[in-house]
Amino acid sequence: MAAERRASVTWKGDLMSGSGTIDEVGSGTFGPLDVSWPARAEAATGGKTSPEELIAAAHASCFSMALSGGLAKTGNPPERLRTSATVTFVPGTGITKIALEVRGSVPGLDEVGFREAAEAAKAGCPVSKALAGVPEITLDAGLE
Amino acid sequence: MPRIERKAEVAWRGSLARGSGVATAGTGAFELPIDLPSRVGDPGGKTSPEELLAAAHAGCYTTSLAGEIARAGGTVDRLDVRCTVTMDEVAGQGHLIVASELDVEARADGIDADGLERAARAADDGCTFSALVRASATVTVRARLSSEGGSSNGG
Repeated sequence: MAAERRASVTWKGDLMSGSGTIDEVGSGTFGPLDVSWPARAEAATGGKTSPEELIAAAHASCFSMALSGGLAKTGNPPERLRTSATVTFVPGTGITKIALEVRGSVPGLDEVGFREAAEAAKAGCPVSKALAGVPEITLDAGLE
Repeated sequence: MPRIERKAEVAWRGSLARGSGVATAGTGAFELPIDLPSRVGDPGGKTSPEELLAAAHAGCYTTSLAGEIARAGGTVDRLDVRCTVTMDEVAGQGHLIVASELDVEARADGIDADGLERAARAADDGCTFSALVRASATVTVRARLSSEGGSSNGG
């Protein structure tokens, strides 16, 4: 079954001095969120999000779900997973790297087993497959 | 060349089917609940990786299009961009993100329908996310000039 997810953005003005708003998403969970080019391409974001931050959130959440599912399938459901994704964006070049880091609390599983499950989740999650063109996707996985 | 890092964190508790997580933006711009039922079924007020990608693609494309319209000599008054991301189960490959559809309404001076069409294509070529997501998805763009306000006759 196909699942469709929708988001809408309004932009006003030119690229450098204008700004946009993610007005609404289909689930109604968030919005309005402000976005702008400086928030995207400069070090200080002024509390505004960016496509790259949203991609980081998408990848971290997709990976967490895939890992949780994989661990349960082998009889070791996790108590807790803490995942971060850091997306590196080089203006003019694009997204050059995504670094995933996960720390898990998984009763009955050793470090090696956890790292194997994490590698499988990284390879198999739909967002990883959609972003397969990113030059470098790294994973740092370990038990808490 | 500046390297910009953007970070988000997810804390997940419990199994895939019954557990849930919270995705937090490094900038503090959002803190969102996520779980599996909201991803594959009725969202029930929770977001999902695909919805976050839809927001990312809409945001990426919008900034790209704002730049392209200016490059074509137009002046953007307002762009409304809607993005729909579809995840589906593909035989032998599991779940894949198979489509991302962009629907654009532009209110801009100094650009006609043909010019907008060209700018919309160039914006797709220039949007980082469009290029990436093509690894598993088809990307489609529909763009039209807004009927209200602005000017659609090149003036």
